[in-house]
Amino acid sequence: MSETVVSCTGVTRTYQEDTVPVYALRGVDFSVQQGEFVSLSGPSGSGKSTLLNVIGGLDRPDQGTVIVDGVDLSELSESELADMRLHKIGFVFQAYNLIPVLSALENVEFIMQLQGVGSVERRQKAQNILESLGIGELGNRRPGELSGGQQQRVAVARSIVTGPVLLLADEPSANLDSVTTRELLDLLRDLNEKRGMTIITATHDPMVMSYATRQVRLRDGAIEQDETPVTV
Amino acid sequence: MLKLLVQLSLRNLTRHKRRNLMLFAAIAVAVGGVTAMNTLIRGFQADMLDSAVSNLTGHIKIYAPGYRDDPNIQRGFELAENFQPDVAAEDLLGWAPRIRVPAVIMSERETRGIQLVGVDPAAEVISFLSTVEITGENLTDSNDGRVLIGRELARQLETKVGRRLVIITQGADGLNREKGFRIAGTFDSEGTSLEKIFVFTGLTRLQSMLDSHSVTEVSIRLRSEPKTISVKEVLIDFFVGLEVRDWQELEPQAAAMYIFADGAIFIWFALMMSALTFGLINTLIAAVMERVKEFGMLRAIGMRKSVIIAQVVIESTIIMTIGVAVGLVMGYLVFLFFADGIDLSAFAEGVEGFGMRTKLVPVMLVSDLVLVATLSLALGVLASVYPAWRAVKITPLEALRR
Repeated sequence: MSETVVSCTGVTRTYQEDTVPVYALRGVDFSVQQGEFVSLSGPSGSGKSTLLNVIGGLDRPDQGTVIVDGVDLSELSESELADMRLHKIGFVFQAYNLIPVLSALENVEFIMQLQGVGSVERRQKAQNILESLGIGELGNRRPGELSGGQQQRVAVARSIVTGPVLLLADEPSANLDSVTTRELLDLLRDLNEKRGMTIITATHDPMVMSYATRQVRLRDGAIEQDETPVTV
Repeated sequence: MLKLLVQLSLRNLTRHKRRNLMLFAAIAVAVGGVTAMNTLIRGFQADMLDSAVSNLTGHIKIYAPGYRDDPNIQRGFELAENFQPDVAAEDLLGWAPRIRVPAVIMSERETRGIQLVGVDPAAEVISFLSTVEITGENLTDSNDGRVLIGRELARQLETKVGRRLVIITQGADGLNREKGFRIAGTFDSEGTSLEKIFVFTGLTRLQSMLDSHSVTEVSIRLRSEPKTISVKEVLIDFFVGLEVRDWQELEPQAAAMYIFADGAIFIWFALMMSALTFGLINTLIAAVMERVKEFGMLRAIGMRKSVIIAQVVIESTIIMTIGVAVGLVMGYLVFLFFADGIDLSAFAEGVEGFGMRTKLVPVMLVSDLVLVATLSLALGVLASVYPAWRAVKITPLEALRR
């Protein structure tokens, strides 16, 4: 039996817009097993990004519990949450969010520097991961000198180089054309199938959904549909 | 971690070259301005001190009790033969015994009230007499029976070198003495106040004229002003029954200005750096708010708030360090440019009122440089804390949405 990586129970998140409460999540129960590739989809305001943020410890639920890799996030302080994100969760953002003054290789190394990994080891790991993602020759270029697809690959490299238990990707294809999106998704599927990486992505993009091994659809802050496609 | 933050900060400095160059320039100009101004204030302070102690005062003076209220030879005191002040040789520049009494001087045409001063010319290396320009001859020794008068007094008396003058003063018995003196030379000091008031003659000859073996004062000049208090304490124990006064008691106006100069350095620094700090905070806030999304990302991937704050502070510290270093060099160059002194003779009357000479020579103290550098860096670090706090006040989620 596979291990549960994410477990959400009765998760509620409400935002205040002026004086009107907006229910982003309404008592969501949701879990993800190790090795799953899950897409969270739904219209704008359905709560998919909020759920992703709550799982990633970037947002805290008003009610309910979120357990990631056996740790109840509600019991963690802000610093402990930061450490949790640093060591156990990888993030891929819509806008890549690389550090502009560092080269691709240094961006990948950066997270290991935060973890205190020695310079020789981290340089080797960073180079290896860039090569395995097909961008080994771009290591010395800064983000401004890379295409959108190349930047997103560097962002993926950064997010997985430390071997997190969970990879979260928020609209990873939003700024990419269809060819680059397919390359990115092939990469994510590869990570999922060959490395057993657990991936959760929030997306509007049907192509991204089609790569997921499990599709979860949200509407009005609740899970509307949760299914595993017969064929991918 | 520190190495990582420094590396990242150095890279970030190249990100907005023009803005950072402007910031460096503003810091450098402020620090350079403060440093250059400090050298002028220190020069003013040193000049005032030198004028005060050279003006026959010395750093410390010994009197008989009551002399300062009623200055005459009857309130003198005798020095032991072979007297030598009990002051360490490395602290002592020199000492001079004198008689200083009020007198009336008369030429063929004019009469003036003066201070008649009996001196040993060899001992007067400690006073302005050693630096003034003399027309004619200086007094040769303590037995010289001629007088040295100021050029301005000579003009007022309508006399000149080689002519005779008559001086009337009170002797040790309380009776008036009257004696003729030939003018050995005239001295030309900066300004006319000293030239009008002092008339010098040999100490031994004046003692003969006044029928006394006493002196009315012993003036002591030290190599360094900060030793004044400790040496004064030694002399108080030695000259039991006499008054021992330091230059701050004898020249209270100069002493007040001396202390004011110390304060002026801080006031000037505070004014310049306050203006700079507001500019610095403003610029840092703008720089930090531009990077809010980046900070949000850094926090999202696991960087702690404290590390973000440290990064902003380190960036600001690097900017301040470079700016301060350039500023100190600029200040030093300005100091070198004016090292020979600034001619204030156009404002001679005004500067004389402050007890200054007409040439202001800047003085650079290492302690001032250290003070300016340290306080500037401390201000830079403090100024960056608020922008850094603003940067982490926003949650990573909010920051990423911007």
